[in-house]
Amino acid sequence: MNRRDLLLGTAGASLAAALPRTGQAADPPIKIGLLEDISGDLASIGLPKLHGTQMAVDEVNATGGILGRKLELIHLDPQGDNARYQEFTRRLLQRDKVDVLIGGITSASREAVRPIVGRQNAFYIYTNQYEGGVCDANMLSVGAVPEQQLSTLLPWMVERFGKRVYTVAADYNFGHLSSAWGKSIMKPLGVEFVGEEFIPLGVSQFAQTIQNIQRAKPDWLYMLDVGAAQSSFYEQKNAAGVRLPMASPVKIMLGFEHKRFPAGVMKDMYAAANWFEELDTPEAKAFVARWRAKYPDEVYINDMGYNAWVAIMLYKQLAEKAKSTKLADLRGAMADGTLGVDAPEGRIVIDPKSQHCSHRMRLISVDGENKIKIEKDFGDIQPFWLSQVGCNLLQSNPREQYTPDNLPRR
Amino acid sequence: MLKLLEGPQTMGRGPAFWGAAGVVLLAALAYPMFADPYDVGNFGYFFVWIFMALGLCMMWGLCGMLSFGQTFFFGLAGYGYGVIAIDLGNGPLGTMAGLVGGLVLAAVAAAVLGYFMIYGRINGVFFGIVTLSVTLALAYFLGQTAGPEWAIGKARLNGFNGMQGMDPLTFPGPDGGIVLEETLFYYVLILGLAVAYLLLRMLANSRFGNVLVAIREDAERAELLGYDVRRYQLAVFVLGSTLAGLSGVLYTSWGQFITPSSIGLPAASMPIIWVAFSGRTDLTATLVGTFLLLLGFQSLTIYSQETALVLMGALLMATVLFVPRGFVLGIGDLLARLAMRRRREPRPAAAAEV
Amino acid sequence: MLGNLFAGFYQFADVFAFLVLSAAGLAIIFGMMGVINMAHGEFVMCGVYVTAASYHAGLPLPLAQACGTAVAFLIGMVLEAVVIRPLYTRPLDSLLVTWGLSLVVTQGTLVLVGSTFPGIGTPLGGFRVGDYTFSAYRMVLFAAAIGVLGFVWFLFLRTRFGIQARAVMQNPGMAQALGVRRNRVYALSFGVGAGLAGFCGALYAPTMSLIPTMGSSFIVESFVTVVVGGSSVLLGTAPAAVALAVIRTGLNAWYGQIIGQIGLLVAVILIIRVLPDGFTGWLTRRTA
Repeated sequence: MNRRDLLLGTAGASLAAALPRTGQAADPPIKIGLLEDISGDLASIGLPKLHGTQMAVDEVNATGGILGRKLELIHLDPQGDNARYQEFTRRLLQRDKVDVLIGGITSASREAVRPIVGRQNAFYIYTNQYEGGVCDANMLSVGAVPEQQLSTLLPWMVERFGKRVYTVAADYNFGHLSSAWGKSIMKPLGVEFVGEEFIPLGVSQFAQTIQNIQRAKPDWLYMLDVGAAQSSFYEQKNAAGVRLPMASPVKIMLGFEHKRFPAGVMKDMYAAANWFEELDTPEAKAFVARWRAKYPDEVYINDMGYNAWVAIMLYKQLAEKAKSTKLADLRGAMADGTLGVDAPEGRIVIDPKSQHCSHRMRLISVDGENKIKIEKDFGDIQPFWLSQVGCNLLQSNPREQYTPDNLPRR
Repeated sequence: MLKLLEGPQTMGRGPAFWGAAGVVLLAALAYPMFADPYDVGNFGYFFVWIFMALGLCMMWGLCGMLSFGQTFFFGLAGYGYGVIAIDLGNGPLGTMAGLVGGLVLAAVAAAVLGYFMIYGRINGVFFGIVTLSVTLALAYFLGQTAGPEWAIGKARLNGFNGMQGMDPLTFPGPDGGIVLEETLFYYVLILGLAVAYLLLRMLANSRFGNVLVAIREDAERAELLGYDVRRYQLAVFVLGSTLAGLSGVLYTSWGQFITPSSIGLPAASMPIIWVAFSGRTDLTATLVGTFLLLLGFQSLTIYSQETALVLMGALLMATVLFVPRGFVLGIGDLLARLAMRRRREPRPAAAAEV
Repeated sequence: MLGNLFAGFYQFADVFAFLVLSAAGLAIIFGMMGVINMAHGEFVMCGVYVTAASYHAGLPLPLAQACGTAVAFLIGMVLEAVVIRPLYTRPLDSLLVTWGLSLVVTQGTLVLVGSTFPGIGTPLGGFRVGDYTFSAYRMVLFAAAIGVLGFVWFLFLRTRFGIQARAVMQNPGMAQALGVRRNRVYALSFGVGAGLAGFCGALYAPTMSLIPTMGSSFIVESFVTVVVGGSSVLLGTAPAAVALAVIRTGLNAWYGQIIGQIGLLVAVILIIRVLPDGFTGWLTRRTA
């Protein structure tokens, strides 16, 4: 622990002691229900998410909780199984009667949770970057969405490396939608899509794909692979001598491939991120130091783990402004579009029309030594797409997921 | 008719057994009056899966056909329910039509696939691998239906993220119908299970059931005795698969959601685990064991965090090594032996030996 | 032209190697011994992890791969004695026990070793034919697949152990009466099967990303190959791998990976329908 943390910690503690107690000691705690995979295929990204939430809860409790009430974290492990997500969503909402439900990794797990949350009219926070488009008043999305990750990254790639693009995507909603996003962003730039391939989840052998890429001779690769098995692609591509620049919304800051693969494998991977552990602002360094003090064995503090921390901080702001934990009051507190937190990346603000968050986006790249370099700072980017196509949660709650080819009827 | 409730193919007989069964049923019916509504709903959810297990018990335990593809029919019926309910505008009409349509879809698919396999003389391990292959192919296919072109009417299949937008099962009634959820869901499923269990028991002890067991023991001999073995196999395959379809419809209705991962691995191996753990040759064992296993696995997952899967695995291994006939059958045997010792009666013929 | 021809061969060799290497161990354990081994993927994973750990500890890659194979072999022998031996008369129960084992091993690895493991990096670099560059290591994998087939042929048809093993699988009682030590033969055979699975893992370790559940990406292909093949590794698994590799390579090339995967499964169904006893013409009911 460095001196700065120590100071912050003691300041927080003394502040809490000095403040008049707004609530009685007997005030019931605010219950946070958390669903994160710490078993199964996705455990490697579920663990940092659990840690991020735990750290945020401890930090909030150390400074007096929310509205004078302590936070109580109830975590269940759905083991990557959609049915378990459904069971545990019901358990947390009906039995434990949590005030807020947080979590889920894959889009499928989020979609498993949403109908139940909707029927119970509960408040749910999804902390991943994702393919975007969910217009649901019961859900707050904290992660980055395509207009933040792709509208920044892809035009930059086209300008820097050229107009011949090859897409390798997981045969999965995220892959299909992100590929559609890529087309709608890059077609106007005159990009030629020289190849597009969808790979079933769990496939680990890529000789055919690598050969197809060589035949198509693209300038760069648009990578939308998902899961550990598919990420074997990079090693195999490298071994076959294919060295092309690559862009992806889920590599590096999410999957921390640069910490897991030998040097050179991820060389020339570009990504747009709202968080990565190597971010070198003083706030980010302090955040990393606190995290590393608490979880010294963490392989990498990825963006999902960071977002999980942000989610609790946002919730604290919301509840304190609303002076309540009821959904309607919380939504009222965000309605003027100014509510946010000063996070390590910069200020994050909730857009009340879509209930998604603004993010400070930075473009990063990996070099041959697995080192991260910041290529460009895009500044704050709003989640504009949903409100552009007509999602306005202040007026109606369709509980739908919209996509470029499934727009709301006006 | 009623005397078929007891017989050589099912465990348990006499006033003691039926008395105990009655007490269990009454306790189950009274349970919602003093339990947390969540626990009631959760138990109701466990009952969803038991239909599929009972179906597998009939075809595998009694007739010796190990299908690795019960989730194929589960998924087909679940998706069928969703598509029909959504396209008919949900409500009592849509969901009831969805229920019937889902079951018919499962039954027809089972008849076609079963005809292809059984009349093609595919059996033993091959039966398992073919059913598994079909199941995985369906899961892969549904997984790649993310695009908007994959829609049946208004219902989008929506790939790996799963289909949603169907209502829960709704009975016709005032105010747009009576929605089957929570406590009502529990009661309806309890009654459904009791009826299914008793009917299957009678079927198992009927001539039909005896032939199934004969086929399991020696298909060739059964054929030489003049039975059309393949007709019996096909019939029990359709029956078991339709029960799996019923589970699929109920599951989709319960969560208003179904995805391809309910079909593919590891979901496809779960029914086999439940039935084998419980004691596959007996319906009662399957019923009780599946429930206990679902409850046990869920509790382990809740209370032991990341060691849950290790404990589950160890539990399975210990069961197989130390209680070879299955967990519930093992206990049943033990009880029977104790009773026999006390009464000095000949041991009742419980389930047939395998 | 030459480039395209070679590319076709390379793709075939790649799929063939994957099928043979991932199925060889299972062909012995499941095909010959009749144990439905759901933990096959975990033997592969064991080979991967031991290889990677020894490599990071400073061993040169081939030696590390030998370590991975050897450890899988030893673990297989021990497991056979403790867990599998009581189940030879109950083949379906072996499914349950090995499924339980697979849960314990994957999640145990996750808890003890962590959710990820640093990779190794593929050796040998690439080479060029015509318009395309290829990974040289993939050719090593193909050679290793041929080598495994040769090894199995030699072991089971040309050694005393092989004759004893085949005798025990055919008729354990008779073999024992003739003085074959049955338990030792079973343990060794199971060990060889596990060792071959570990060898597969050791070979693929440098080419994949390492997580505890990685064994699952081998399991469908290996079962499918073994079942289509039947009980004999040489007469069954090898031709099955050739047939399936041709089908899969063609579909992959012309229609993409999704159709390749679904097509593989459909091919399996049709092959079993046409050749109910697999390629070996096997299935005099297993007595073991």
